[in-house]
This record gives sequence, structure tokens and C-alpha cells, in this order.
Amino acid sequence: MQKFLPSLVMAALSVALTGCLQSEQQDEKVVINKNPYPSTYKVLPLQTTLIKNATVLTGTGSRMENADVLMIDGKINKIGNNLSAEGAVEIDANGKWITPGIIDVHSHLGVYPSPSVESHSDGNEMSSPNTSEVWAEHSIWPQDPGFQKARAGGITTLQILPGSANLFGGRGVTLRNVPSQTMQGMKFPEAPYGLKMACGENPKRVYGARKVLPSTRMGNMAGYRMAWAQATEYKRAWEKYDADYAAGKNPAAPKRDIELDTLKGVLDGDILIHNHCYKAEEMAMMIDLGKEFNYQSGTFHHAIEAYKIADTLAENGNCAAMWPDWWGFKMEAYDMVHENVAIVDAVKNSCAVVHSDSANTIQRLNQEAGKVMYRANENGFEIAPELAITWITANAAQSLGLADKTGSLEMGKNADVVIWNQNPFSVYAQAEQVFVDGAKVYDRFDEKYQAKSDFMLGQR
Amino acid sequence: MKQLTLFKSSLIALALASSSASFAQSFAITHATVHTVTEQGVLENATVVVENGKVIAINPETINADTIIDATGKILTPGLIGSMNQLGLVEVSAVSRSRDAKDKKANITFDASLAFNPRSTVIPYSRKGGITSNVVAPRGGDDMFKGQTFVADLSGEFDSVRSNNNSVVIDLGAKSKGSRALSLQNLQFKLEDAVKALAKAKQKTKNTKDQKEAKEPSREAQVINALLAGEKALVAYADRATDLLALLKIKEQFSLDLVLVGAADAVLIADKIAAANVPVVMAALDNLPGSFDSLHASLENAAKLTQAGVSVALTLNGDTHNLYQLRFHVGNAIANGLSRDVALASVTANVAKAFNLDSGTIAIGKTADLVLWSADPFELSTKVSQMWIDGKEYSTQSRQDALRERYTTPSDMPKAYIK
Repeated sequence: MQKFLPSLVMAALSVALTGCLQSEQQDEKVVINKNPYPSTYKVLPLQTTLIKNATVLTGTGSRMENADVLMIDGKINKIGNNLSAEGAVEIDANGKWITPGIIDVHSHLGVYPSPSVESHSDGNEMSSPNTSEVWAEHSIWPQDPGFQKARAGGITTLQILPGSANLFGGRGVTLRNVPSQTMQGMKFPEAPYGLKMACGENPKRVYGARKVLPSTRMGNMAGYRMAWAQATEYKRAWEKYDADYAAGKNPAAPKRDIELDTLKGVLDGDILIHNHCYKAEEMAMMIDLGKEFNYQSGTFHHAIEAYKIADTLAENGNCAAMWPDWWGFKMEAYDMVHENVAIVDAVKNSCAVVHSDSANTIQRLNQEAGKVMYRANENGFEIAPELAITWITANAAQSLGLADKTGSLEMGKNADVVIWNQNPFSVYAQAEQVFVDGAKVYDRFDEKYQAKSDFMLGQR
Repeated sequence: MKQLTLFKSSLIALALASSSASFAQSFAITHATVHTVTEQGVLENATVVVENGKVIAINPETINADTIIDATGKILTPGLIGSMNQLGLVEVSAVSRSRDAKDKKANITFDASLAFNPRSTVIPYSRKGGITSNVVAPRGGDDMFKGQTFVADLSGEFDSVRSNNNSVVIDLGAKSKGSRALSLQNLQFKLEDAVKALAKAKQKTKNTKDQKEAKEPSREAQVINALLAGEKALVAYADRATDLLALLKIKEQFSLDLVLVGAADAVLIADKIAAANVPVVMAALDNLPGSFDSLHASLENAAKLTQAGVSVALTLNGDTHNLYQLRFHVGNAIANGLSRDVALASVTANVAKAFNLDSGTIAIGKTADLVLWSADPFELSTKVSQMWIDGKEYSTQSRQDALRERYTTPSDMPKAYIK
């Protein structure tokens, strides 16, 4: 609050002044650049490609047999039987399966890269419980060999998040999984930013140990509420500035605050919440917190107890991103059930997502989803592969605000495609070819399409 | 009244059905595809007879058993053996008072089996993965020796610990502070000193018959002596090829029984490891260059080491709560080149061999740790149909199932009333 009191006073003064001097000249309008580190991603060399005779899981809940997928100019052009296209590179995918490119909504690749060395530990700005001012993209090491491994597992899009030490960890960024020397070269064009928040044990442990707020869960809630109250004031100040300026006045712009810019971005609906939050009672409070301050409470990550409040999540439009089976490392991860994702998914208007949070399991999100499907089916569910695939494609895209661009094989969407050697929900399944925006970025049988990090070059 | 009785008896029936064990004296599993993991290989449509906790017959001419279990279409394997985790020593990793695998002051004598909790919820959960026994490795403290391994079955019974103080765990390789050289040097010196002390003691007893009994060596020294006598294996965490080579040299010099754990870069010296007949306990899915010690980690390493003649045992590298996933790791190793025969051995017979256990195969006279699978044990869609530990049947139901049932059972009352 104190931070921008002076600027409020300034604003008040300038309003008073403009009241007297009707003909005053307006200063140049202060406009905040919302995209100062823009994407420079370019689609890799591209050919019209026709994949023939595959089993296709579209990501929209359908399964098609002996189907062809046609990709032109980086988009899905058509899916159907007996397609042909002049000049297209044809791939015989008889016996193989095709899915949308796999999306991981929770990754720390690049910010906690391999090798895990001190100099690369850039994922958790553990210096204050609110670090909304930090952006994960500023920590990304594009040479993390983990990106290549993830690509071999069919990952075409991934959100890189800051860690969970803080109540507000900072902004996350969504990347195309293509090799590049720069973060900007990987950045998903037009993807909304995410804001990482964290409930529960981590913030209270980290800051409690330093005897600062939060040291309890009620301290966590107080920390969020104080920050949102401040952000609300900040937003109001800018809106007043914009309104006054539009009215021909010459107001002084509020003092720029990088931390509050991010929170305001959430309140404006530009930035999506990605909330590390395991427990049912905490998720329910975070939903109310969003209502209290007029923002959508977004996606709950590591939502171990989502199954306890599946209805509440669906009613409030929250996605839950979950593991199939991780548990027991913390008290808040004690109540895991294998069917968590399936229980959440079973509710109407739900958004169940399987995520990794791991440089290792990101390589096998197909198997992670498969584990859920089979365990659930052993216990009364009837989940087909065409539904299970949505947990790591379409629903993940929805969580990232990218449902109109990727996550399903539909006409006009980005041609993010994986060809699997068999049913992707087999332990023996392997991605054979991976396409991002219609361009081949990985081929299991062609070294030409197997990228290698600078770091791994020349090591013996 | 009648209703009440009915209710009571149904409760009892329920309790019986959900009780973890059934007490048949002898039983025969018939019509199964039996993977013996012995020279007998895979037996189709086979019968295995168990009595008093042991396998007493395979494909007998006449079946003589209290219970017959028709396993048509199913696969019988030895129970899988976990290793190098802290099962029973940790309930919740971040709850300090539920952890017993570490102690700052722990040394080579550290016997964590005293803290083993058979009632840990991780144990029935791990049975979902067909794990019937497990080599628990303590994580020690400041000392490079982390303590000694013990073996526990996954019955959840109070007598689960099968043996303790089995092998000595040492942690070598990259150090956050200091040099890896010092640990290797210390190991070398300790062994050399022990050899000298033993020779000296021998000399003493020979020369001075009338002297009082030779002073008993310290407890630490006794463990080192057991290593030198080959009574205990040295189980060494190390990744970089230079560390592995140094260990092979030490093994040769002191005729140690050596087991390598982790061994991310073992592929660089696979032929040497094979020639030294040293087993490697490794995680099949570790394929990232996590450090400068593990630049050659790869999904294909299990297959490559095996092809070079190394006996490979698969583990989850300390990941206790996910032990149940072991079979999926094996499946991935197969997808990356490991042959199917070796794959099953890597979580049964090879683990038993590396840690000197009397399990891991289906053979007459062996402990009846058995798992009957609905299909291919390594496939995601497969589940454990039935399993036996020491010849006794155990359920795979765990706390997780109780939670699922509670939250998928419709009720007008709060969930807390559903039990």
C-alpha cells in the first residue's frame, strides 16, 4: 500500500490541476509493454505431410481407425479415410497410433536443468514469499538436454514454472519444444503467461524457518490476501489513469511496480493462475480467494486431493493437474489415490490434466495417463484411450489457455502430432515421429531429426 | 434379531474377505504360464505346488493339495524383489518423526532393521506392484559407510525382517564438499589396515600361546573383517567410470564381494565389470545427465550392460514410495532393448544373487514368494491377480483403495461416515 501512496497523491494533485487548466497539453500516455521479451520462434523446415492408415486419437474424445492425417502449412488440414494430397510426403502409419502433440502443464526444464549444478539452479527465487516480479523465462537454459528427451517422448508444448517455495513464485512461460539458442526462440507465440502460486507446506516451511510470514497455513492465506488487496489498488490506480487520460486530462501515471504488474495481469484476465495446491480444503479456499478478488483461480497443480472436491472444481471451472501415483513425500501428498484423475474427469465440465513436474516422467506422460486409465477401469470406470489422451493434450491446452491452438487434431489447429509405434498407453509404446506446427522435430529412426544439446556435444 | 445376526455375519464375512491372509496348508496353482527364472525357463500350462511356505513340486504327476487355484490365462512369476530403498523406514518423507533411515552419527555398524515398521502403509501399496520382498538400504549419516542392508518381506507381519546386517553400504563419487579421492583412499586404507591387523593378530596368537586371549576387534573392525572374509558384500553407490574402476581394483586386491549401485556410466567399462563378475544395481529410467558423473545415463544401459555380460538388477534408486512401479520400469527397459528373459531376472533372480537371498526363482525347495499376474507383468494394463509371501496369500488392497471407495460411494451423509 505504502509503495504507491505517493503516486496516488500525485494523481489526485494532477486531477485538481487539470480542473483549473482546461487547455493543458497531455503528456505522452504511459503504456506498459505486456510483451517485452517476444517470441522469435520460427517453424522448422516444413513440408506438406500425409500420415496414412493409423489409429487416430483426436484429442476431442474420438478414435478413428485406418485414418489419415493431412498437415499443410503447419496446420491440421484434414483427418479422414483415403485422403490424398499432391506433393505431400506420405508416411505409412499402418499399425501405428497418432495423437496430438503431448502437453505438459508443469515442467521445470531449463530452470532446473540437467546437469543439476549450483550454477543452473534457477527455478525458485526463495528470497521473499511474494516474488510475482520474477519470470521463469528469464531463468531458462535452452541447452537443457531434458528438452530433447522430452521431445522423444512426444512433448510438443510445455509450461515452465518457477518453483513452489513462495506464495507467489512468479510468472511461468509456455514453450514450443523446439531446439533454440534462446528462450525467445522457444516461446509459444501468443500463449498467455501463467502465475505460479503455492499453497501448503512449502511456503510456510521456507519462510517459517526464517521467522517471517507465512509460517502457518493461515499465514499463507493472509499473504495472498494482502498481495491481492494491493494489486486491486494498483489496478484501480491504472484504470483511473487510463480513464482520466481518455477524458482529456493529463494525469500522472501510477508508479510502475513490476511485482504488481503480474498480479494486475491476473486481475485483468491476461495471466492464468497455476497453483501448486495439494489439499482439498486449501483448493476450496483458493477458489474463494479468487472470488474475493475477482479473478479465476485457474489450475491446481499436484492436486493430490482433487478427487475429494471434484464437483467443486468443475462447478468453478478449475482444471486439476495431477500425477497418477506420486505420493508420500510430504504430509500433503499422503492421500493419493490412483484414480484421482479419473474421478475428477468423471464430473461434467471438468478439466482433468496429467502433468509431470519431472524431467524424467515428462518423457512418458502417455504412460502416466495410461496408469490412471487402467487402474480406474479395474475399479468401475470405463475409460477408453480416446478419453485418456485428453488429459495430456486437449485438457492441458485448456489449462494453458491454448485450446484454440493446440491439444487436438482438428482442422485449422496447429499440426502438433505424434506418431506412436503402438497404442500409446502401453509400457512398450514409443514416439516414432514428432511434429510441431507441421514440421518434423524428432524421428526415432533418423539421426537427422535427433537434436543434441550443446552441453552434450564432445562429451566422452 | 435375525437381521442383526445377518448383519453381524456379513460383517465377519467382509472382514474375512478383506483380511490380508488366507491359511491354506498347501495349494496348487494350475494351468499357469510359469516363469521359473531358472534353467527350466518358461513352463506353459504348468502346476506349482506350495506347502508350508515352500515350493514342493513343479508339474507333479498327481496334484496333492488342499486348495487348487486355476490360473488359466495367467502368468506366475517369482515375487519381485525391491532393493536399495527405505521401505518400512519412512512413512512420509517430510515428516521427521516418521523417518528412521538416516542418522548423522550412523557408521558402518548401523542396523536400521531395528526400526523397520511392517505396518507402514507403503508396504501393502507396494504389493500392488507384485513386490514380495525388499532389500532395505539405510542412508546413514556423515560417514561414507551408510550402514548395513537388511531384507524384509512385504507381508506386513511383525516378523517381516528375514535377515539383517547383510551387506555394507558405501557412498562414493562426486562430493558437494571436498574430494571423492579421499573416500576412495579411506576405503583403501581401512581395508589395508584391517588386513595388517588380522595378520598381526594371527601372528600374536601363534607366538604367544600363553598370553591372554587376543583383544576382540572393535565392532567397526569386525564389519570390515566380514567384508574381507567375503561374508558381507560391499554395496557401493558410484556413477563415474573412474570410481567404478577404482572399486573394481579394490575388489580384486582384497577379494571383496562387490555390488555396484547406480553406476550411470558403467557402459563405458561394461566389459571390465562383466569380467570381474560384479553385479550392477541400476535404475532403468535414469537417462538424464544429472551430473558430470552420469553423462552416459541412458534408457538403453540395462540392455547394453546385459549384452556385455553384466548381471543387472533393476531398482528405483532410493524412491521408496514408488517401489510398486518397478515392473513398469522393467517394461520400459524391454522397450529399450532388454531381452524379456533377462528383464524378469533383473527384478527377481539377479537381485537375489546380488544380495545372497533365497528367493527370486520358482524352484523346488525355494521360498514360495509368488505372484500371479492377469497378463504380461510389465504391461501397464496388467494387475496382480493373487500373490503369496512365504506361501501365504496377501491382498494388494491398501489405504489408497479405502480412500477411493470412500469418495466414489454416493451418500447423503458426510464422507467421514463411509468406512
